[in-house]
Amino acid sequence: MAGFKPQFYPGKSKVAANRKKYIDPSYKLEKLRTISDDELVKIMGHRVPGEAYKTTHPPLAEMGEPACPIREMVEPTPGAKAGDRIRYIQFTDSVYFAPLTPYMRAWLGHTRYRGVDIGVLSGRVPLEARERDLEKVAKELVETEIFDPARSAVRGATVHGHSLRLDENGLMFDMLKRYVYDNKSGNVVYVKDQIGVPLDTPISVGKPVKEEELRKRTSEFRVDGDPFRKDTELVGFIQRLHMLRTEAGFDPSKVKGI
Amino acid sequence: MAKYTDKIELYDDRGRLFASKVPLEALSPLQNPAIQKIVSFVKQCVTVNLEGIEKALATGELGGKWCIIQGRSLKLDLVKNADSIADSLKKTLQVSKDDDTDVKVLKGGKHLLVKVPAKRLNAGVEYTTGVTSTAAALCCSIVENFKVSIWNADLIHSAVWGRYPQTMEMLGGNVSSLLSVPQQNEGMGYALRNVPCAHIALITKKNAMNAAALSSILEQAAMFEMGDAIGNFERLHLLGLAFQGLNGNNMVYDIVKENAKSGTLGDVVVSTVKRAIADKVIKPMDKLSSGYVPYTTDDLNLWNAYAAAGMLAGTMVTCGSARAMQHTPSVFIYFNDLIERETGLPGVDFGRVAGTGVEMAFFSHSIYGGGNPAVFHGNHIVTRHSKGFTIPCVSAAVALDAGTVIYTPEKISGVVGEVLSEVPELREPLKYVNEAAVSIKGGV
Repeated sequence: MAGFKPQFYPGKSKVAANRKKYIDPSYKLEKLRTISDDELVKIMGHRVPGEAYKTTHPPLAEMGEPACPIREMVEPTPGAKAGDRIRYIQFTDSVYFAPLTPYMRAWLGHTRYRGVDIGVLSGRVPLEARERDLEKVAKELVETEIFDPARSAVRGATVHGHSLRLDENGLMFDMLKRYVYDNKSGNVVYVKDQIGVPLDTPISVGKPVKEEELRKRTSEFRVDGDPFRKDTELVGFIQRLHMLRTEAGFDPSKVKGI
Repeated sequence: MAKYTDKIELYDDRGRLFASKVPLEALSPLQNPAIQKIVSFVKQCVTVNLEGIEKALATGELGGKWCIIQGRSLKLDLVKNADSIADSLKKTLQVSKDDDTDVKVLKGGKHLLVKVPAKRLNAGVEYTTGVTSTAAALCCSIVENFKVSIWNADLIHSAVWGRYPQTMEMLGGNVSSLLSVPQQNEGMGYALRNVPCAHIALITKKNAMNAAALSSILEQAAMFEMGDAIGNFERLHLLGLAFQGLNGNNMVYDIVKENAKSGTLGDVVVSTVKRAIADKVIKPMDKLSSGYVPYTTDDLNLWNAYAAAGMLAGTMVTCGSARAMQHTPSVFIYFNDLIERETGLPGVDFGRVAGTGVEMAFFSHSIYGGGNPAVFHGNHIVTRHSKGFTIPCVSAAVALDAGTVIYTPEKISGVVGEVLSEVPELREPLKYVNEAAVSIKGGV
């Protein structure tokens, strides 16, 4: 259909506009830091840099596939083609003006990346994919404006801390102390991988983004920032949706002219 | 005279037009002869694992794993003599000489596919007649053919029936059907929903379109039995079956094709909304102050069917591109979240699929135990809430998996899926339901 332009998210607040921007795959996320491929592989801890990808089944071309019109049509991702294992990267996002809320990770992940499995829990968001596909996706998730070294963290286990007060350097609490603030450089440095195994060499993920900048970029509604209830358009949208769900549950054929 | 004016274009699993302007009700489980046949076959068709019986007798491992009765065993060549067992089993099951009883020997005698005559089922009220009469007749046949003494007949019973009646179901038995025992159904009318997706994927030989179709047929037929698809809700389910399960108007196929090479789940949402706008199912309302335009519809039932078809396409694109089944719950939640935010209209099954996805995500990702998607079914405690719209997607995803799970569909399904794939109507339901719909369309 010509004319149709996806709109992604309603709302008139700055937070709603940020949500819309991040979900929209045509918006290029701003790159704020560089993490090398090897460093990222080390932080995730699934394989040693340079090690071959382990497989869960033979490459598709070797094993052959059942006669299925969908398999014939749908192009497998490079990782699926090679038979890679499915691995994960998991994030914790502070409630204090982190760039993303947990749900945002799922929404933008599904509009931007193919063949990903994202789950949202109360304090953590895992993204699972075939290993080589995961590494590509993880790079963008860590290097761009949707990650902040202080308020977002890569945590595979013992994730708690998203709703706790920040420490004296503005870092989110981490019981496993996977990362520390380097007073000299001002950088956040990972000293353990995502599940807490010490790294041979520390990995810097750069400087925390400044508070005022975070408040500009955040997709979190907060009463001491951009309160959800002030965005009356969004509140009305959500209320309408819930009303429609309820009325349709009673009798879908009677819901007309809504 | 048809109750509903909807007309559907029928397509096959490869997107080829089969028939035009078919009345919606020609696809109803109440009218479509092929759907009724499929439901009958589910009751009538029973699988026998002769190799399993032979092994159980030889080792004394009767009534489940590690349940060995020391010093009791019986060496019978059942697999070698499968043909004669099949003959006498057939004669025992037959009500009249030329009724619809059938016993097929498969895999060199290792398995039997038994069709219990409809007359036996019609004479009772419970679908368990299929397994009970097959198990009992098989015991008689083995005892007679192999001249088993009164002192060993108990072994035959245990090898065939398993630990039943000490257990509720035939634990460790070697006679099985697609349906579980009624005590394992979550509520009234759940029987056809109690079929794990592993069975469905294997019966349809991992053709994702047919897997979705068979699942949708069983789920939506169950809706009639459960009391869901009646009155104000009948059309909701019929449209869901037509568009999501049976690829009506080629919607599922078209949307998958559009996103097959590089599409994301978000792109599938966009394709679905575009299709609904183009077909005038939804239309824009006034612009809100941010510039966002909510959509409205006068036909929420039809919108639900479009969204359900889009969700199946989204599963096929996401799980298909990863060749992995585990993404299904994520698709259930976020396809619906995204389509709700794109349109302002409720997602599939008016929020129930999104809720089902949340639970299924927990129970299929080792968070609170559970298992991989292949063990799920419409009777499962965490996936029963959506009324027929989630399980077809799970079956399609299981069919598309290239081998990423520890407990494979083959391991979960055992002989059932493999043996029942010999029944053409179960293996290729789209073809048979389409043909049947055309054969009755004038009379609907």
